Amino acid sequence: MRVLLGAMVVAAAAAVAAFWFGAYNVAATAEHFAITHWLLDRGMLRSVKQRARSIAVPSLGDPAQIRRGVALFREHCVQCHGAPGIAPAAFALGMTPPPANLVYTAREWQPQEIFWMIKNGARMTGMPAWQFRLSDEEIWAVVAFARELPALSPQTYRELKGEDTGVRTEVAVATADADRGRIAINQYACTTCHSIPGVVGPDAPVGPPLAGIAKRAVLAGILPNTPENMVRWLRAPQDVSPLSAMPNLGVSARDARDIAAYLATLK
Amino acid sequence: MRLFASMLVVALAGCAAPAVDAERGRLLLRQYGCGTCHRIPGVAAAVGEVGPPLQGVARRAYLAGVLPNTPQNMASWIRSPRTHDPRTLMPDMQVSEEQARDMVAYLYRLR
Repeated sequence: MRVLLGAMVVAAAAAVAAFWFGAYNVAATAEHFAITHWLLDRGMLRSVKQRARSIAVPSLGDPAQIRRGVALFREHCVQCHGAPGIAPAAFALGMTPPPANLVYTAREWQPQEIFWMIKNGARMTGMPAWQFRLSDEEIWAVVAFARELPALSPQTYRELKGEDTGVRTEVAVATADADRGRIAINQYACTTCHSIPGVVGPDAPVGPPLAGIAKRAVLAGILPNTPENMVRWLRAPQDVSPLSAMPNLGVSARDARDIAAYLATLK
Repeated sequence: MRLFASMLVVALAGCAAPAVDAERGRLLLRQYGCGTCHRIPGVAAAVGEVGPPLQGVARRAYLAGVLPNTPQNMASWIRSPRTHDPRTLMPDMQVSEEQARDMVAYLYRLR
């Protein structure tokens, strides 16, 4: 019993020392052990399969849908993943893990799994979530095109005509959703500049902390703090404060309203 | 001898411009009513909720969202906010250069 306790204390001390002295190499050039890579990869796959199981797959493969998928793929995906005969961009080649070759993914993954991955992204892989940038319809168009990838020669891929024929329509939702706003806060990278209670982030004080923002009388030193003004400020900071360092992040009306609803809970 | 010379230099510099005094800055922050709009740790009754809290302002990257945070810029902002952002609601409180320097010395302790 005493030996076991001693061993646990030594192990805990070793873990703390490894943490404190930076023993773990975070460099993107430091590769995982084969077993670590296998575990992470399989773990991710299991997780995606589990969560994608209940997603209903719409009909895929209509030519217009594929053309739309091609256009979106070229705008958002090829930079990291490459395409038949097309290398990923320089920045993507430096990533660890390297972005997957989607020809293989398209052969092995179910459509609902590809949809889930595009929509939700995957932490610590570099894969972003697209649900705050693309509608479900658009994501399905990308899935429809991704399924064609294994059958495309480099030449056919180059000759494909992409066309984004779909019309972006914002989803009209009656009431603001603070929980969704909290997720949107991460998806617009607000935490890279502001510390925000309830949202885990780097706590880098580039701008002011947002604890107590609901009680603050003035926004950006300029606007009375009302829900409408918060939405206005979030969507177009330079319209309010032309000199502001806060960038316009292209926040949609719905997302801004949900973010404002969350911030209104920070009393 | 060299030590004496350097002490002399320090003493003379002290005569030319009064030493920056963070403690005096703390009292000045109270005297100028900064606390009616800002929360400022260590300053009596500074619990305002109009502008941003100044806890940790020394580490903040921007002042008022418009100026890179350096001691010089902070002093300049305190003395004349509208020079840097014409739309700001923060008033010009007629703070002297020396007083602003002392306030900055205190605020830069808030890490």
